[in-house]
Amino acid sequence: MEGSTSSPASSSQSLAFYDFLDRMRNPASLDLLRSIKSFIVSFSFYPCNPESDGKRVQEFFSTTETAIRDHPLWMGATEEEIDCAMEGLEKYIMTKLFSRTFSALPEDARIDNDISEKICLLQTFLKPEHLDIPALLRNEASWLLAEKELRKINGFKSPREKLLCIMNCCKVINNLLLNATISENHVPAGADDFLPVLIYVTIKANPPQLHSNLKFIQLYRWQAKLVSEAAYYFTNLVSAMAFIVDLNATSLSMDEDKFEENMEAAKLKSKLKSEEYQMIKQGEAKCSSSGKMCDEIEETRVMSLESNYPYMEARSGELKERDVDRLLSLYKDLVLKYTALCKAIDCLPISEKEPILGHLKMQETVSLVAPQGQ
Amino acid sequence: MGCGSSTLGRDSRPLGRDNSENGGGQDAKNLRVKLVLLGDSGVGKSCIVLRFVRGQFDPTSKVTVGASFLSQTIALQDSTTVKFEIWDTAGQERYAALAPLYYRGAAVAVIVYDITSPESFSKAQYWVKELQKHGSPEIVLALVGNKADLHEKREVAVQDGIDYAEKNGMFFIETSAKTADNINELFEEIAKRLPRPSAS
Repeated sequence: MEGSTSSPASSSQSLAFYDFLDRMRNPASLDLLRSIKSFIVSFSFYPCNPESDGKRVQEFFSTTETAIRDHPLWMGATEEEIDCAMEGLEKYIMTKLFSRTFSALPEDARIDNDISEKICLLQTFLKPEHLDIPALLRNEASWLLAEKELRKINGFKSPREKLLCIMNCCKVINNLLLNATISENHVPAGADDFLPVLIYVTIKANPPQLHSNLKFIQLYRWQAKLVSEAAYYFTNLVSAMAFIVDLNATSLSMDEDKFEENMEAAKLKSKLKSEEYQMIKQGEAKCSSSGKMCDEIEETRVMSLESNYPYMEARSGELKERDVDRLLSLYKDLVLKYTALCKAIDCLPISEKEPILGHLKMQETVSLVAPQGQ
Repeated sequence: MGCGSSTLGRDSRPLGRDNSENGGGQDAKNLRVKLVLLGDSGVGKSCIVLRFVRGQFDPTSKVTVGASFLSQTIALQDSTTVKFEIWDTAGQERYAALAPLYYRGAAVAVIVYDITSPESFSKAQYWVKELQKHGSPEIVLALVGNKADLHEKREVAVQDGIDYAEKNGMFFIETSAKTADNINELFEEIAKRLPRPSAS
């Protein structure tokens, strides 16, 4: 687990990077510096191609490793010092080449978007039980922490630091599982427990540009270090993503019709949202082009945002006489909807009815109590 | 419950330290080996490896014990060492399609079933076929019937395991993660069967 538990910004590693930069400033390393700079410049002569770019970077890492080992500046250096130099090299090169190599193809951005959109849909209804995650592993605090670690991935440009975000996320889950076996007498189930939790955490986190990040690490992480434990956790996130991409009605512990229904509902919801957003955007665009239209558009904008319950935020002192008509019609509308809803719930089987009724009752009590409280 | 308490290994001795992490792992004397575990969920895959890793008790031994990734180094009698990097896979049916991501590049695949569950034995055969088709050609395959302590509930005959393994050129052993029976033997036998890089 060498160094893998430390956060990417850990002081020892940033010191190592500065040490690398320091050595590069040393006149004795001029030859190395020249080869690094000319390597970076050489990329502008080739059209962008992730596979061959990755291969060239990896080849450069290994030739430079040999050069460093033979270099007078590293004479008698320990393995650890060579490691630091190589990590510094990776960070330096990949930060310089980041804009060319990260999410390099238009299709990468498309895949990223597709995954992110699918996760958004899944987020609206997916529960831990749909992946058969045992109840004692449903630990919100741990999961939140794991999600947070994973979302840090876009805050870094070097493959090593991105990989560390994945490692840290996995370690949080790992600790959760180990604790469950120690304190709760849960039979250790290894990957049977680990992967479902990682998938769930990934869905909750929805880290932007997931595909591009994984591809970037795969191609540009110094290969000698994408082994062992790091490779294992990396593979798990790759497979979590593959699972999400291929996820369909048969992938979950959920009735297939129910899955389709949930997906349709989620799509409709996101469509409505994006339409509302478009309307606002268009309104703003028109606003800036013609001042005359402004008031009218401002009105539709407010309407579209608060169209359903425009008086939710209102105070009694602010209401005018002309609001009475609108309030009354809204009130009637609500009552009609509510009674229709109650009738509809009566038709449901008991198992589905219970949670909904409980929720409605709660709402009712709140609305009854609130006016007295004020 | 858990996997039972630890016992000491007999023939194999854990090592104080190894430096295979720094690229020195592939000489003829010190092998670093990727081992992937396959098998239905609930057959005790992780209990077997936990037994193996924890059974090699030595305070100086450098081991990694994660929930699903473990590593342990053993010394063989010919004074070579083998560092096993053990990749556990999720056994549930819905993750079966992801297995190739895990067994790619593995030198060893340990396929586990539960001797009280014929379904898990058929699942094991499915994995053997899949690995023969898509695994690396030099991969060392081991078939393991676990929960051998549950005699009275046995539903897969020992002979069935032996026959199937023989037909497919695999190593076969029955283990009990609970009593630690044959756990060390399993890993020692695997270590012996590994192709050695020619010493040059």
